[in-house]
Amino acid sequence: MQFRFRLILAVVFALIVGWTTQVFAQETAHGAGQEAALEAGHGGEEHHTLPLKPAELLHIGPFTITNSMMVTWFVAVGIILLAQLATRKIKPVPTGLQNFWEWMVESLHNFLESMIGRDLVKKTFWFFATVFIFILCLNWFGLIPGVGTIGWGHHNPGGGFTVTRPLLRGANADLNLTFAMACTFFVCWIVWAVQANGVGGVITHLFAPKGNTKGVLKLLMIFIFFIVGWLEIVSILFRPISLSFRLFGNVYAGEIMLESMAVAGGQFFAWLISIPFYFLEVLVGFVQALVFMLLTAVFTLLIASHEGGHEPAHH
Amino acid sequence: MNIAILAQAGSMTEMARATGETFGFNLWMFLSQVISFVLVALLLRRFAYRPILGVLEERRQRIAEGLLNAEKIKQQLAEAEQRYAEILNKGNAAAQKMIDDAREGASHLAERKQQEAIVAAEQIVAKAREASAIEHERTMLELKRELGRLVVDTTAKVTGKVLNSDDQRRLQEEAARQIAS
Repeated sequence: MQFRFRLILAVVFALIVGWTTQVFAQETAHGAGQEAALEAGHGGEEHHTLPLKPAELLHIGPFTITNSMMVTWFVAVGIILLAQLATRKIKPVPTGLQNFWEWMVESLHNFLESMIGRDLVKKTFWFFATVFIFILCLNWFGLIPGVGTIGWGHHNPGGGFTVTRPLLRGANADLNLTFAMACTFFVCWIVWAVQANGVGGVITHLFAPKGNTKGVLKLLMIFIFFIVGWLEIVSILFRPISLSFRLFGNVYAGEIMLESMAVAGGQFFAWLISIPFYFLEVLVGFVQALVFMLLTAVFTLLIASHEGGHEPAHH
Repeated sequence: MNIAILAQAGSMTEMARATGETFGFNLWMFLSQVISFVLVALLLRRFAYRPILGVLEERRQRIAEGLLNAEKIKQQLAEAEQRYAEILNKGNAAAQKMIDDAREGASHLAERKQQEAIVAAEQIVAKAREASAIEHERTMLELKRELGRLVVDTTAKVTGKVLNSDDQRRLQEEAARQIAS
């Protein structure tokens, strides 16, 4: 009985979400198409694409407030409030929100500890946990109907309303945020690397030959590892770019896909076609948050671990 | 060579700038997002992770202490059980010894009391016999005296004469001799 009730509730919810999505997605697609058409100077052609750049809402001095920043701040405030509510009255036996927050923090902590070790996780947990929670919340927030479809625009001559400057935009579909997170990690990574190995240790870690060789082979290895070290530096320098573009690309592509599916479904079936892709995007949002956290954690582990083992350094 | 490298670097910078522009990269927006992210991370570190990790650590310590205490209690219980068994064994041995002593003492006492009872009974029997003999002797004396008087009286009545004291004594002695035989 209860299962049937839940099923009916889920179907009703899916129908409402689908319908809302259809309406908003069509408006967005239409608005974006209009905007793109206006920018390109082609009056009659429609392009159902989300712009690569976030819309500028207002300017404060040199700072520009964009719609993706709004989402960033909403989500940030939401997470901080949630955390505050969960940890306001900490009880020895957790219940409700504290229980959920503890479960999340403990699961992440144990997962990271099993991967990068107890000492390193003590130092770096705050960063990796924030990265995961923040990206996950941002990705899922971007799927809420209304994000990207509520904002400023104009009435169309043929009826309807075109949103040209949406109030909110999926924050990870803005390269500035993903690149900001990647660069913050890069700075933290340098600090942790120097803390773990020292400046000389980092250089040795990059350029020193590995393995126990002698004679001519050793000279050859020194030469090879010198070259490999430079390649490693290039690879390290490109990490913020790869990290930021991976996340940005996946989230942006997801938004485009949802829009395309909504448009492909036509007037009546757009909501139905979008539903599976919404579930897919929920999964993608989680996976991308996990991938970003895992990659940053592994990069940290690689520089903080000594040769021949994965135990974190003790300095 | 250097000019070629510089040219290459210049073209790469230009390419990076163009790519950034295409994807909407803006230095001020980027800095805003850095500040936002760092603020969130630091606030979460201070208000969200630290208290929870503190609670988790405290709980972990409590569990560890609890397990340690449980182990200690288990060990103490085993020791107490061993001590209890030892005390019980000692008690059992002492009790058995006491029972044995008591049995032995009781047996000695019973024997002594039996002996005393036998002696007492023998004394009573001897006294009774002595009393009986005295009574018998006294009765016999009375009987002799009475019988002698009867013989004297009977003889005096049968013969019709008055018996003097010698006759009376002779008759009484004769009667006493006859009775004794």
